[in-house]
Amino acid sequence: MRGARIRAEGVTAGYGGDPVIRAVSVQAEPGQVVSLVGPNGSGKSTLLKSLVGIVRVSAGRVMVGERNVTNLAPEEIARAGVGYVPQVDDVFPPLTVRENLEMGGYLLAKKELAPRVERVLSVFPRLGTMIQRPAGKLSGGERKMLAMGRVLMLEPAVFLLDEPTANLAPAIAQSLLTEHVRQLAEHGAAVLIVEQRAKAVLAISDRTYVLGGGELRMEGTPAELSDSQAFVDSFLGGHRGRVVSSGEG
Amino acid sequence: MTIFVASVGFGLITAAVLAIASVAFTLQFAVTDVLNLAFAAVMTAGAFVAYWINQAGVSVWLALVVAMAACSVLSVLLNLIVYAPFQRRGSSPITIVIVSLGMALIIEFGVQAVVGGVNVSYTMGQGTTYQAGGFILTTVQLVIIAISLVVMVAVHALLRYTKLGKAMRATAANRSLARNCGIRTSRVITTTWALTGALAGLAGTVFAIDIGSFGPTSTDLFVVLILAAVFLGGPGHAYGAMLGALLIGLFTEVSAAYIQPDYKYVIAFVALLATLALRPSGLLGART
Amino acid sequence: MYYLITLVVYGAVDVISCLGLSMQFGIGGVTNFGFIIFQAAGAYTAAILSLPPDTANGAFQIYIGGLNLPFPFPLIGAAVAGAVLAVPFTFLVGRRLRGDFAAIGLLVTAVLLNLLVMDYRPLFNGDAGLALVPAPLQSQGMATTSAAYQWSFAAGCVVLAAGVYWFVRHVTESPYGRSLRAMRDNDKVADSLGKNLQSLRTSVLLVGGAIAGLSGGLLVSYISVWSPAAWTYAETIVLFAAVIIGGRGNHLGAILGAVIVPVGFEESTRLISDANPSLPPNLLPSLQWVAIGLLIVLFLWFRPQGVLPERKRVIALPALPGAADATAAGSQPTARPAAETAFGAQTAVRDGSTSGAETASRAEIRTPAGPLAWADTEAQLDGAGPTASRGADPAGPPGADVILRAVDVSRDFGGVRAVSGVSLSVRRGTLTGLIGPNGAGKSTLLALLAGTDQVSAGQIFYQGRDTTRVPAYRRARMGLVRTFQLASEFKRLTVMENLMSAAPGNRGDSFRGAVSGRRYWRHDEEAAVARAASTLARFGLESLANEYAGDLSGGQRRLVEIMRALMTEPRMLLLDEPMAGVHPELARKIGTALVALCREGMTILMVEHELAIMDEFCDPVIVMADGSVLAEGTMAELRDRAEVVEAYLVG
Repeated sequence: MRGARIRAEGVTAGYGGDPVIRAVSVQAEPGQVVSLVGPNGSGKSTLLKSLVGIVRVSAGRVMVGERNVTNLAPEEIARAGVGYVPQVDDVFPPLTVRENLEMGGYLLAKKELAPRVERVLSVFPRLGTMIQRPAGKLSGGERKMLAMGRVLMLEPAVFLLDEPTANLAPAIAQSLLTEHVRQLAEHGAAVLIVEQRAKAVLAISDRTYVLGGGELRMEGTPAELSDSQAFVDSFLGGHRGRVVSSGEG
Repeated sequence: MTIFVASVGFGLITAAVLAIASVAFTLQFAVTDVLNLAFAAVMTAGAFVAYWINQAGVSVWLALVVAMAACSVLSVLLNLIVYAPFQRRGSSPITIVIVSLGMALIIEFGVQAVVGGVNVSYTMGQGTTYQAGGFILTTVQLVIIAISLVVMVAVHALLRYTKLGKAMRATAANRSLARNCGIRTSRVITTTWALTGALAGLAGTVFAIDIGSFGPTSTDLFVVLILAAVFLGGPGHAYGAMLGALLIGLFTEVSAAYIQPDYKYVIAFVALLATLALRPSGLLGART
Repeated sequence: MYYLITLVVYGAVDVISCLGLSMQFGIGGVTNFGFIIFQAAGAYTAAILSLPPDTANGAFQIYIGGLNLPFPFPLIGAAVAGAVLAVPFTFLVGRRLRGDFAAIGLLVTAVLLNLLVMDYRPLFNGDAGLALVPAPLQSQGMATTSAAYQWSFAAGCVVLAAGVYWFVRHVTESPYGRSLRAMRDNDKVADSLGKNLQSLRTSVLLVGGAIAGLSGGLLVSYISVWSPAAWTYAETIVLFAAVIIGGRGNHLGAILGAVIVPVGFEESTRLISDANPSLPPNLLPSLQWVAIGLLIVLFLWFRPQGVLPERKRVIALPALPGAADATAAGSQPTARPAAETAFGAQTAVRDGSTSGAETASRAEIRTPAGPLAWADTEAQLDGAGPTASRGADPAGPPGADVILRAVDVSRDFGGVRAVSGVSLSVRRGTLTGLIGPNGAGKSTLLALLAGTDQVSAGQIFYQGRDTTRVPAYRRARMGLVRTFQLASEFKRLTVMENLMSAAPGNRGDSFRGAVSGRRYWRHDEEAAVARAASTLARFGLESLANEYAGDLSGGQRRLVEIMRALMTEPRMLLLDEPMAGVHPELARKIGTALVALCREGMTILMVEHELAIMDEFCDPVIVMADGSVLAEGTMAELRDRAEVVEAYLVG
């Protein structure tokens, strides 16, 4: 799969009223895993939602490759090659596993559908054992795999993942991150992942942004950040409102 | 026993007409989130479009096709001009139900204003009457049952096997996620209105054929049967609507054979109220 | 002349019905699509009570009853019948059913009953309906066709309509009415504040039903006939159109709507058809219906509030002792309470110091000598650490005893252990923070402490008593109150009304209390007003008192929620992310006010993510991770502990 760069440039967005995120700039190159961490309420989910057209961007712009996709409808952004796995409501509960995957492949030509389903099943073999089961009856980990598999159907150039390990047992979360998320990037896509488990996601990231209070607080490579006291402090509120940048901006 | 079997036969016809209407109604609700109480009025409009075409000398079965097309357009316009704007504005479900009642008045009495208060009938033959194993049905009635079966099969095929059908089910299940899959949900919704509108036209014409003599207000009682079937099977659940229609159709006709015929609808209403009170999600559970 | 009288009678009847619907739909938010059957019940009851037995007429019409009762019994019977008929439908408006589904249930019932009456002749003469219903006092030999009688009858109708208007207004301009409006705005929140939804909805159904029945009885005694054709479900739609167009939630609007829609339409139709006799007979009635449908849709789009929108109920703030914002500059306000108390636009005049204090002590408000100015508090906090070592505290030195204790508390959901063996103690008078990464179990623990969730194991002690099995609303009454994360204000109620809807023990909060009148609930109401005012003053938000809560900013709405929790006079507050989404400056103000509360003896346990808040205001802070307590101390201490840092980074 071919990747594309996704970039948010000075994005300010919110749900009407006060903006939740202000002038945030992040980007992910093809083949990179870029993580977005920060305490709760820092605006991480909102940033992803503004990239896929669910939350309105009031200032700044969103680029996929050379294309300006700011405030396009979610279905158009999906057609632009952006795959999005939301944190909740991530599957179609009354549809079977196979039908969920087929929905993911909605934009594919008919003859590509079956082979693509097979390909996704080879990435998530567990799903193959429950292909006819309604998605609403899957366990947490299985649902997340299905949610990712659905997005994988289109082999998008960009993957956006919103806390994929939330509510998963640590072992499953670990394998999801190291095996599946890392692999997406290795196949060429650009991956932007929001996570609460900062340490775990740092381990698989090429670059990390730290959000706090709706603003960008820090960014850098995992190595730079793990050694930085400021990084730790930004999680525990020690330095309010200071933007510290380690490494290139 | 013969009365019983004959009433089962009548029940099947009622169920047939009801099934077409109920499935369309429930699909509308599932995909578009609108409890469209103007549905029966659209049926009436369809019945009269067929009537006018029929009066011009065309066979009622061809007129039926025209009625379906007209109701399809009417339903799409109804959504475009009325329901979608209210939904975009974030109106509450109860507001939209009241709006649909207003539209029901406009359409139904608009038809009455044009047609007048007199009942009319289609110019058509009833065909031969067949008797087999206690069933007494005319050709026309058999055709109606056949049409209904075809519609059920077609809806099933649509939902299970076609891309559009699956998009409809996805939109009904999780509209936001459907959009993330690249589905243009606004088109799916418009198409749903067009299809279910056509079915409303079909249901209206077939209903008028069945009762013989009809007027602009003939569907007033029928809408309650539709609601009973829809809620019994589970609002938004297509197969539930089919089941509900069958049950309601049979109950009303079979009971009519034993109690005074005027009360046959009572059973339907009691069923509806009991469902709302005890199991609002219906027999087959929540939305498709 | 008879034409004018007919107009007046029909008008009065429509006004009465619309007032009943206004109360049900406009104030209570109950969409009763079956409304017309209550009017029908009243009409039939009045008819069979006043008619002689059916055998007496040679049985050309068959009906039950026939008691030949004199005026006013048929009319009273009509109202009673309307109320009684409402009883079986209360099951449809309970908590579980969606509003639009319930409305459909009521619609279907209307059609069903119409059908039954039409088909079952022995009941009310079936399809043909009843005729020759005697007018009031006719059997006593009154000349009912005389001008004097007719005019008296018309006047009586108008008087009755005015009486109904007065009654409906009287009942809904009360704490009970406020609870109805709260339920209409957000029934889940009203429920969590302890409003009994089932009982509220039942009361509006019954009262509305009685009023509708009364209108039916009145109508049938004038027109002397009544058949199923008169009460098809379409008639309900006309009444709904009237209330929507006239003004929802405004009783005068309901009257206006009654005049415009049923009466206005009938008359304009008659005028047009008189002027154009060649029109086909069905055309105008059909167009009439089309017009009604059109008006409903157009009004709901362009002016959903109706011609006369619901008026804002402004409540004047009483002057507080020593307040800087005295109502009358320089003058000495008198101690007599005004004839119109807090309700209405009149200012409630109170004595500045004494009766203010009286009110305060009567309501047992724990307020300081005067409202806290932001400046004072911040000056005191400048440079100082958290609250523990503050000066003299009227409730005794804080921190001495434990007010809330959890002992080895656990909570399992299926196979997942959300809270695992948590033991903690909260000392009285502290502002304790509860932090931890997502999924640590903070919200669950809060729910267990509040009683909105039940422990799977362990015990909870509040003020020394074992409250492990005590339900949430009882813990609230004991003074342990929680707030919720999601926005939960009543948008179309003012801030004052929002606060007062949480004040417990207001005698006017039931239908009976409302009927008993202002004198009955005035004391409780004034106490609630005073308490709300002083709570507003504490946060410096008096200027927002009469703003609609829906018009406030996000942070201000958060404050309303906290203030509302304070209205119940809690001893301990459990706050669930009170600063979420709040501007940093406002968050600091909230924190400051919370600290001040603790200084006065309140205890607060607060779940928060904004750790800067913890820094500045909370001591101690408890850290949770993976369902158990990790550590406790000040924020500065915790930051130095490796396992805390680890917990946050691991997530």
